[in-house]
Amino acid sequence: MTVSDTLLEAFGADAIATPADLIPTIQVPLGSIEAAVARVQKEFGYTRFVDLTAVDLLSREERFELVYLFYSLDSNAWIRLKTRTDQQAPSITPSVPGANWYEREVFDLFGIEFVGHPGLTRIMLPDDWQGYPLRRTEPLGSEPVDFTVTRKVYGTG
Amino acid sequence: MAQAEKSAERGTGELLTVNMGPQHPSTHGVLRLELVLDGEVVVHCRPVIGYLHTGIEKTFEAKSYIQGVVLTDRMDYLNPLGNNLAYALSIEKLIGCEIPERATVLRVLLAELTRVASHLMFVGSMALDLGASSPFLYCWREREHILDFFETISGVRMMTSFIRPGGLVRDVQPEVLSAVSAFLETMPGHIDEYEELLTANPIFRERTEGVGILSADDALALGVTGPTLRGSGVALDLRKANPYCGYEGYDFGVPTGTHGDCYDRYLVRVAEMRESVAICRQALDRMPVGSVRTSDRKVMPPPREELAKSMEAVIHHFKLWTEGICPPAGEAYVGVESPRGELGFYVVSDGSGRPVRVHERAPSFANLQSLPKITEGGAVADVVACIASLDPIMGEVDR
Repeated sequence: MTVSDTLLEAFGADAIATPADLIPTIQVPLGSIEAAVARVQKEFGYTRFVDLTAVDLLSREERFELVYLFYSLDSNAWIRLKTRTDQQAPSITPSVPGANWYEREVFDLFGIEFVGHPGLTRIMLPDDWQGYPLRRTEPLGSEPVDFTVTRKVYGTG
Repeated sequence: MAQAEKSAERGTGELLTVNMGPQHPSTHGVLRLELVLDGEVVVHCRPVIGYLHTGIEKTFEAKSYIQGVVLTDRMDYLNPLGNNLAYALSIEKLIGCEIPERATVLRVLLAELTRVASHLMFVGSMALDLGASSPFLYCWREREHILDFFETISGVRMMTSFIRPGGLVRDVQPEVLSAVSAFLETMPGHIDEYEELLTANPIFRERTEGVGILSADDALALGVTGPTLRGSGVALDLRKANPYCGYEGYDFGVPTGTHGDCYDRYLVRVAEMRESVAICRQALDRMPVGSVRTSDRKVMPPPREELAKSMEAVIHHFKLWTEGICPPAGEAYVGVESPRGELGFYVVSDGSGRPVRVHERAPSFANLQSLPKITEGGAVADVVACIASLDPIMGEVDR
């Protein structure tokens, strides 16, 4: 039985199809993400935490998709865990120290609060920054470049 | 950190908070550290990042996939071609397009040359941070040759954007390949030179041996990868473990350290330079002839001469430069071995010409998390050696 099959069986109906990069991807409910991470790390040997990020799907409910990536040193393979959330997610930092800055980054740029994180503060942006720039509802923003010829256009002087 | 304990004067227990950086010559850009000191001993170290945050991941969402290549150069600016490669591989994975053999071999050659250039910078700047200024000049002498090659082939020394989804921008001239070949002949001798200056240098060893020890378990727990992880004795190299670009067909070793101290991390990188030179030689020896661009017209534009003859070529040309590449909806991540560790772009597409999300798994970001672990308990003077040995690039930490 391949790793993928084992995982499919273990995670039941929550497993989803393999994407273009052939990394087995498992969708888990938000409540069981900690348990799933613990299982993937301890039971299946995907011990190395690689990456955590979020994707703004702009849906009305469960707007953000959290994407966790782990790597197994025994089988030299990645595995991806996904979960959906609106606002909050349980922090995995207490059991996975490497996720510390990654959760802070997602909090900083998407505004997802990781409950149980030891020091959830902004990491990229200044502490007094308003808004969450990687949300797709945030405008890209631009600063007019100050050339003498463009001053009249932008009314900057 | 026994050595540090010995040499460092423990204070009276009165703690002093010192701010190091963001403008500090040894912080390799704009890294700020909040250090809590007891005499000369670091009790607590908190890295503060974000000074170079430019919202690159946000910018990706407003650019076409081809324009995105330009942004990847600017993330890890010492490994521009490696970043181009990682980004291109992710998008090619999404599309599922075939890359001609010559392009693949050239990619390996360019990625390894970039690795040598990056490690040269590491050796030079680490020595400079520890007070030895001459190795820096020698390292830059050779780095300059490599940058000259990049300039000849792409027109730019650093921000090359030369590796793109679908292949390369253009072919590499045979004269450049013979110049690279001549350069590679001299390179092992140059590496000996740096080693003569540093590897056995008692002052350099005193400053690095037993300093900033990172155990293999801690390194893995903190997500550390690349030469820093290998310095701690874990022989994980994605070129071996999960080969891409045909790395499985090259003969090279994966140097590892035993103690996980700054000295081991230095040794690993120097040894890696030799391995990279060997890979470059093998790439040159097997260099096939042929095209360097995929024939998939949805990814790479048709050659100029076809435009005068084929209506289809005109349409492809027009679609590609207006809409850009439109990969099928889905996601892809391809992990590659950058000079700093596991680098990968997580690209999410909805089938349109603009990505939904491009996230860079930056090796320096994870590696820098280990800084408190390796500096706490050591002398404040060793913090500089610890930062240098991690070789962080703030451009990709902050993005």
